[in-house]
Formats: sequence, structure tokens, C-alpha cells
Amino acid sequence: MPADKQRLEREVVAMRVAKELPDGGYVNLGIGIPTLVSGFVAEDSVVFYHSESGVLNCGPLADEGEEDIDLINAGGQFLQPVPGMVFFSTVDGFAMIRGGHVDVTVLGAHQVSAKGDLANWMLPERGVGNIGGAMDLAAGAKQVIVAMEHTDRHNHSKIVEECDYPITGKACVSLIVTDLAVMQPTEQGLVLKEVAPGWTPEEVQELTGARLILAPDLKEYEL
Amino acid sequence: MALGKVYPSPEEALADVFDGATILVGGAVGAGLPENLLRALSNGGARGLTLVYSAGAGSISSTAGNSSGKSSIESLVMEGRVSRIISPMPFPPNAGGQIEDSWRQGEIQIEILPQGVLAERLRAGGAGLGGVFLPTALGTRFQEGRERREIDGKSYLLETPLKADFALLKARAADTFGSLVYQGSGRNWGPVMAMAARIGVAEVGRICEPGGLDPEAVVTPGIFVNRLVECP
Amino acid sequence: MASRLDDHQIALRVLRELHPGQTIALGTGLPSTLCRVAAPDVGLRFLAESGVLGYQGSSQGATGSPGVFGSDGSPVSLLPGSSLNSLDETAAMLRGGHVDFAVVQPAQVDSQGSFTHWTSAATPGLHAPGTSLDLAAGARRLVAMMHHTAADGSSNIVGECRGVIDGAACVDLIVTDLAVISVSPDFGNSKEGLVLTEVAPGWRADDLVALTDAPLKVSPNLTEMRFDSISGPVPEKVPEKVYTSGPLAVGDIPDGATIMIDGFAGPGGMAHYLLVSLRDQGAKDLTIISNTAGIARVINFGTPPGRQAIDHSILIDNNQVRKAIASYPVSPSVSRPSAFELAYRKGDVELELVPQGTLAERLRAGGAGIGGFYTPTGVGTLIAEGKETRTIEGKEYLLERGLRADYCLIRGYKADTLGNVVYRGTSRNFNSVMAPAAAVTIVEVDEIVAPGDLDPELIVTPGIYVSRVVRRPPEFSAYE
Repeated sequence: MPADKQRLEREVVAMRVAKELPDGGYVNLGIGIPTLVSGFVAEDSVVFYHSESGVLNCGPLADEGEEDIDLINAGGQFLQPVPGMVFFSTVDGFAMIRGGHVDVTVLGAHQVSAKGDLANWMLPERGVGNIGGAMDLAAGAKQVIVAMEHTDRHNHSKIVEECDYPITGKACVSLIVTDLAVMQPTEQGLVLKEVAPGWTPEEVQELTGARLILAPDLKEYEL
Repeated sequence: MALGKVYPSPEEALADVFDGATILVGGAVGAGLPENLLRALSNGGARGLTLVYSAGAGSISSTAGNSSGKSSIESLVMEGRVSRIISPMPFPPNAGGQIEDSWRQGEIQIEILPQGVLAERLRAGGAGLGGVFLPTALGTRFQEGRERREIDGKSYLLETPLKADFALLKARAADTFGSLVYQGSGRNWGPVMAMAARIGVAEVGRICEPGGLDPEAVVTPGIFVNRLVECP
Repeated sequence: MASRLDDHQIALRVLRELHPGQTIALGTGLPSTLCRVAAPDVGLRFLAESGVLGYQGSSQGATGSPGVFGSDGSPVSLLPGSSLNSLDETAAMLRGGHVDFAVVQPAQVDSQGSFTHWTSAATPGLHAPGTSLDLAAGARRLVAMMHHTAADGSSNIVGECRGVIDGAACVDLIVTDLAVISVSPDFGNSKEGLVLTEVAPGWRADDLVALTDAPLKVSPNLTEMRFDSISGPVPEKVPEKVYTSGPLAVGDIPDGATIMIDGFAGPGGMAHYLLVSLRDQGAKDLTIISNTAGIARVINFGTPPGRQAIDHSILIDNNQVRKAIASYPVSPSVSRPSAFELAYRKGDVELELVPQGTLAERLRAGGAGIGGFYTPTGVGTLIAEGKETRTIEGKEYLLERGLRADYCLIRGYKADTLGNVVYRGTSRNFNSVMAPAAAVTIVEVDEIVAPGDLDPELIVTPGIYVSRVVRRPPEFSAYE
């Protein structure tokens, strides 16, 4: 059964996403797998990180005992002071996002549709949710990459024909990277571009809630 | 790393300015005018330019380092390289010089708009807004052709975003990531023009390594600045 | 016939309208001389739209502060407590109603209080208004400073402007080289008449009626113009912004008030001392506008290990909050609900959910006099329900409105006694966005310093946006 087969570790998903970050580009990373991405950027490449907490060019997390409450990222983690950091207000931070100055954002998701609709802010059963910066990132970043597990904890596909959770943005996702596959939402439907080692496209399709179109150059996960 | 924001000369920083480009020129009344970049623009060949600038930038009073007796913008206009100007004050009242002459002869078009409206249209362009409702200019000629809207009992006019291909800016110092600090009123148009242009180009007195600027003092974050030239 | 006033005397008369602590935006031409005429110690805060707030004109031949220029481009000097701003920021100060006075030099003013700016008249056919429309639309009170008649002897004060209009029905007072004329404010919104209230020494009301090409009523209290400076016999004091304690600073917050509270999620950037003071003060039915509705203490967001930070929850637990407007109202963890979420489930509090960037932009609009704006954020989502959508150049946008509040509690690092604030690191975030958007902005800082002790290039929130400053006591703990 595909459900029992070995899936990729979160770190491997992050490693695959890291390949998508443009050298010299401005990148905003969401919480979860996205946070791990910065650890896998090639050493000879420069990526500038933007955080909605009001800091640009941020770097690694602070060591224990070095926490400064005035130096956090949007996830509330403490940052190290690094040369070249810049602080700004929230209104400037979101002008950067909406104004198209942020090249890539990597976000987690509850659901992504075949057309690239993103749902990541509310679980309907809770009745209340947090939008935070997600809707602005979905609407404003030049490229939205979703990094997530392919299925939820009940083994239901997080990739669907149409989102039934409240959406964060319409047709905004340009690439989905999961622990099983790399997929690209298009107007024609969801294109399967890469599959995890040891998995067949048919097995991935079985765990996917949307019809997959096989890319002509479909290949194994490229790291 | 493929960063390369630092350019060896103003000419190289502006080598790809193309015919018909829209160019924001920073600076106002005596402060912040990017003279070196303007001269490089003049030395380049691009024609049919749209220039956006503020009161004072076109005037003779801002010709420091220019021996021609004309401002750089006047020179560009005289060379027939400018087709359009968008400005609240394109030339000094009662002393319009070359810019006024060219306009009166129909060689260039001028779009006049209130200064604060220009600032807000640029900000809307840089911040990804589709338009803003401003109270400015109600009851004046500038409300013609603009949608008027009552919001919470007050009247506003809809202003559209303004974006550009290039912004030419002047700052006191930058780090190699492109973050800028200004001096005094030289800050004026820098922050908002940097946002609104696809390619922000700054001439700065000094370029330092990252860490050379106080992170609390940076006014324009490097995300808005693509090219730097050191002009001590 | 008596002589006319010189420009210096006109300036002195205009200055008599101003009070210490007020902010005055100066247009080009005659108004730009005011900063040279006013004594630096009278506490006036001049604003040049080019980006300097709180300056002094330089005396003849002096160079002023390096790289600092006034509204006419001449060098000026920074004063202790000056701040430097970008042009979009100064335009926002004006539009947002933060400037007490503006002074313009019209070529003509008419009996409706509409005017043609001198630069529009001096650029025939083009009518370049420069900054005049911003000054006209924004300031609470607009003074026209001008010569009564043109070079050819014709009146510059007319029944109806013959040239273009740069400001419609907005002039409140006309000060010329012959007279002071109030543009009658007592007819509701329509300003229907000019009233001569003062004449220059040696001139009679009849002379002015004859020299003015508009109906001119003569005030029964007509007096002679005076030029003594505002620091005259009874010096007025600049209103005090420094409050000695948190309870005093929040003492007048009434039940039902709308209050902005920052701290991205806390504890950095959150005004804990003011929050505790507000809790102890007890105002009820509050609407809070904030990024979160208090999550730091349940998930230790941005909190050093082993600590529990004070946040909005102390107001919720004290039943003071009726509604929250927030982008990240609840804990990210279902199993660790915040005080707000528990109250929300019980139906005790309302929630208006706003995307974070939209919240920031709505606050900016509120503080910058912008009625609304079109944003791409939230198109096609639940947020769009009930809102106007509009396609602009092929892209869909939502209409969002400006947001203001009665009070704002912000957390700075240092402030001077004029209310200029600097922040520290990521604790700037919403604080500097909220400060302009409230009627009363109260700042809590670690240290209050004298004007001049903060580098004007580093000031993030100019004092024009700040009503009260309070020092967080050194022994106060942000943790419980």
C-alpha cells in the first residue's frame, strides 16, 4: 500500500524548496517546513530573508541565553544580530510584500487546489483562525511556493480539486513541494513534475485528491 | 554570490535605460538631486523619456557641479531626449528657462499634479495598491476625470498608482546590500521613489560593507535598491 | 497715505496667530520667511514639506545645518527635537490633520476663501501648484499671507478668483500688508464673507473697503494691527507631554473607547506598563485594535525561556474588552487557547479579522488622511465578503477603509520630552504605524531624554503624533 511506503523527511522537502530560491533574491519563509529551508541554501548563493516582524536580511536564530525580545522573526523565534540587518515598520514590511518586491514566499498549507488556490489560515471546525501575513504574501509575493506534507494526519490528501477550507488566496500557488512530489498548478490542472524516490506516479495519484497531469519530463525528486 | 549591486560608474549603472523609459528623479529644492546619475543619463542615448520629479529639481539652483549654466534636466530637455514631465513644479515660477520654452513650443508634454498626490501615487505604486482615496484637490481642476467618493461622511478623490522603470536617487551612504541613509532634507523623495521603480539606482557618498550602517538608521531598505554608485 | 507694512511686519502679524507647541507648515514665497522671523525659543514647530519638522530659519549668510533646507530651498537650522522625514511622510502629516496651521501665499483669495497660489499664477498656462494643495487640504487652519494689491494696483482679494483654484473654500484668515481679514467661519460649512478685523497703522476701514475688490464687512471690533511677538508679556507654555505615571497617562480613557495596542505579538514592542495601568483603571467595553488579541502568554511567543509575558489577556480576563480587530487573534495551537479565544467561544467578545498587511495599511490610511484604498490582499476569500471589489488594469482589488482610534498605547525605546520616539530592533513594527492613527497616542519608553538628545536622522515617530510620554519604571517587570 502506498500509504505505508517511506516518505521524504521534512528536511528533504526543505532541501528541494531551497533549490527554487533565486540567488540574490528576497524571500519570506512561513512557519513549519518553510522555516527549515534557509538551512539548505547553497553556500555560494545569497538569499535575503524578509520577516513580517519588521526585519530584512535576517540570519540564524539566537543561541540559548542570547535571546533579545527586540529581535524576533514572525514566528516569535529569537534572531542573532547580523551585519546588514534592517528594521522597519509593519506598513513598510507589507509594502515590500504587496508591492512585488519579495521574490518568493514559502508557506505551509492545509489545502492547495489544482488551480493553485491556497487554504492555510483556518480549520473550519475551530471556528476562528489567524490570517497574519498569509493573505498579503499570497496576493503580493512574486512566487508562492507551498511546502507541506502530502496528506494530513488522517491520510487525507491536502491537494484537492477545489478547497473546502476557507482560502487564503486564489490561483496564487506556483509550486507545491511535498514529501511525495513536486507539482505545478496550471490553468489546465495540476502537473506532476517530480516524484519521491521509490514512488510511481500512480502511487502518488492514489494519495492525491486532484487529477495529476504527468509532465513530459517527469522525473525523480531532484536535489 | 551573484549580488553585484555596486556599479563602477553612473554610466554603467544606467547603461540599459531604454527609449521611452519612465524615470523618477529624486531630490527637491536644493537637496538630494542625483547630479551624477542625471549627467550619465544625459551621456547615454535614450530618448522619449518620461521624467518624474519635484519642485526644485528642474531649476537652475540645483546645478552644483554643472558648468553649462543649465540644470541636468534642462540639458536633457534641450537635447530633445524628454517627451514628458510629470511634476508639481517642473520649472521655477517666473524663470522657466529651457523646460518652459520647450513646453511652450509643444516639444514636451507636462502633467501637473499636487506634490502630496505625487508622493501618494508613487507610494501606492510601490506598495502594490490599486488606488487611494485622497482628500487633496477637492474643488480644484485636479478633480476632473477622477472618481469622487464619500467615505464616512468625507469626500475623497481616487488617485491611481504611479510606477516607473528607474529611480535615480542620492543618499549619504549605502551598504553593499543596497540599504540607504540620507542626509538632512536630502531624504525627501528617496524612500518613496525607491519603492515605486522597478530598478532603483542610488549615487551615494560612501559604500560600506554590511554592518557598516546602524540598522536602526537605515531609511531605505536594500530590497528597494538595485544599483549603487559611489560618488564621493 | 500711510505706508504699507513690509514683509517682516506681515510675518510678525501672522506669528501672533500661533501658539507655543503648535506645528505650522510653511508654503513657498512669503510664508517661508516666518521661520526666520520667529524667535527659536517660542516653541513653534515649523514644517517644510521637503522633510524637516521643527527648524529655525538661518540668519542672513549663515549656512544652517548640513543638508537641511526649508520650504523655499534656503538653508535652515535644526533645533533640539527636530526630526527629518521623507516627503510622503510630511504629506501624510498634513493630510492626516496633524498640522495645526499652514501658511500659503496666494496670488488671489476670494470671498469664499478659495485661492490661486502664487506659483500657479506665475506659470501661466501650466499652473504649477507645488505644495499648495497639500497645505490647503490638510492643515486645521489656513492663513493666506500676501500683498493686498498687485503691482498694477488691482486687488488681490476678489469676489471670485479669476485664475485656477488651488484650494477651495479653505482659507480661514488673510493677513496682508494692509489688513487682517477673517473669512467668515460662522455660516456652517460655506464661508460666505470677508470680515475686516484689523487695519495697518494709519489706515482706515474705508481705505480697505475701497482697495478690496470683494464685499468686505467691517468688524464692530476693528482694531489696529499689532506686531509684538507671541512671547510677549504673558509667555505661553508649550503643553507638557511627559506624564509621571502610567495610571495618570491612561486615566481619562472612557468606557467604550477604541484603543490600539501594539507589540507584534509581544513581549517586544508591547506597552506592558500602560496595559497594566489600563487594567487597573478599569475602563470597559473597549474595542482593541492590535495584531494579536493576546497570544504571547499561552505560546511564549518571543518570550525568553521560563518567563510568562503580560499581554492583552489581562484586559480580557478583567472583562474590559468587547471587540478585537486583529490579524492573528488566537493561539496557533488549538490545545492552548488564549483568554480571548475562550471569551470568543462564550460569545463575550466580538472579532473583526483583518489580514496583517491590510491592518497596517488601514492604520496608515487612518493616520495619513486617506479615506480608503484598493488592495489585492484577500480577493476571493472570506475577507472580501461585503466589500467592493474592482478590477484595475486587469487585476482584482478590494476596497478597504482607513482605521482610527481614540487612544493608542505604544512602546518605544527612548523618547524626548517633545514626544519624538525611537524604537529598538523588531519592536518598531506596528508601533510607528499606529502612532499617527489615534486621537491620543501614549508612549511608554525606557528613557525620556531632552530634546536634541535623539539624532534627528534616527527619529522614527515624530512628536507631532505623540500626546503623552511615560517612563516605564525600572523596577516594572513585563513578566508575571
